[in-house]
Amino acid sequence: MRRPWEPGGIADLGGRDLRTKLVAWSAVSRYSLSAVGRDRPGIVAAVTGALAGHGCNLQDSTMATLQGQFAMVLIVSAPDDVDSAAIEADLDPVAQRLELVIALRALHEDGAPSSSALGGALDPGASRTAWMIAVHGADRPGIVHAITAALADAGGNIVDLATHLVGPPSDPVYTLAIRATLPRGSTSRSLDPLLQAAEAFGVHCTVHPDDADVL
Amino acid sequence: MSIRSVLQIPASVLVSPAVPVGRVDDAARALAQDLLDTMAASPACVGLAAPQIGVGLRAFAVDVTGHRKARSCHGAFVLFDPTVVVEGPAEVAREGCMSVPDLTGEVARATQLTVSGIGPDGESCSLRVDAFEARAVLHELDHLDGLVFLDRVAGPHVLFPRKVYR
Repeated sequence: MRRPWEPGGIADLGGRDLRTKLVAWSAVSRYSLSAVGRDRPGIVAAVTGALAGHGCNLQDSTMATLQGQFAMVLIVSAPDDVDSAAIEADLDPVAQRLELVIALRALHEDGAPSSSALGGALDPGASRTAWMIAVHGADRPGIVHAITAALADAGGNIVDLATHLVGPPSDPVYTLAIRATLPRGSTSRSLDPLLQAAEAFGVHCTVHPDDADVL
Repeated sequence: MSIRSVLQIPASVLVSPAVPVGRVDDAARALAQDLLDTMAASPACVGLAAPQIGVGLRAFAVDVTGHRKARSCHGAFVLFDPTVVVEGPAEVAREGCMSVPDLTGEVARATQLTVSGIGPDGESCSLRVDAFEARAVLHELDHLDGLVFLDRVAGPHVLFPRKVYR
């Protein structure tokens, strides 16, 4: 089987012998780091070890295992004088030893990659409300796309999402749970297109405000 | 009396609102007995709603006897056409369901309420329930409205596969 960094592997960077890539290093001090690979003990320790050795600080992180594949996403801050190429050099052997695909990107203050010219970011000052969306039904390809496309059309922005495929293999059931924000003033009627999309797929969809009780 | 098969999603009866029972007749009493028998025969089952056994009527059985999370406990009971008046705050706790395979999830439910309905004897009754018995009542009541706990789950990442970690 072709390894990720071998020619044609998913980490093939067009002939460059790299298993970590860094986008647009510049005078920034925050990075996003993602790492994906077959789950095994020691991945977090090895990746964070490479970062800690350069004084990097983990600002935020999330990790998950999906069917034996481990994935982590980190937001990392680094001292301004950090030798970024050295971090990359220390991540490379980790990626090779643990068969990980690691991507490291420098970030602007607003969270966009340094190289980004893409608009459409959320206005951080705009007031939005949180909603929970639950979908479940017989498994069919395209459920997530249909629901999330309707959500995007309604101005929704997904902040958390998880899916599960459960039940007997002969009759699998797909579940999708989404936490999304909508522009303030949105109502459950704003999400009616999601119910229509679900109905077209023959799946069940419910929406409700995600009110946090402050106690 | 009989032990009935328990349906799982995506069975349509589980995602459709159930209709009122109305008058308690022999068929309703047989349904009550089937709910009790099927609940008793199902390991760790503390409640069962009529849609779960394929009957689209507003009826459920609950029995939290001996459960470590229970405070109020009215034993095994069946109610037809139940209504609930919530009287206390909500708490988040983990739930599973015989009709949702392989998953458990964290759901916020009121912890004190009065549930009213008609018993199998045809008499109206009201029960004050709290803690785990209140959770069981609300979970079963949701089934009568075509909802399962997936529709109430507190967030995408508080749904958990039932699995054994190795």
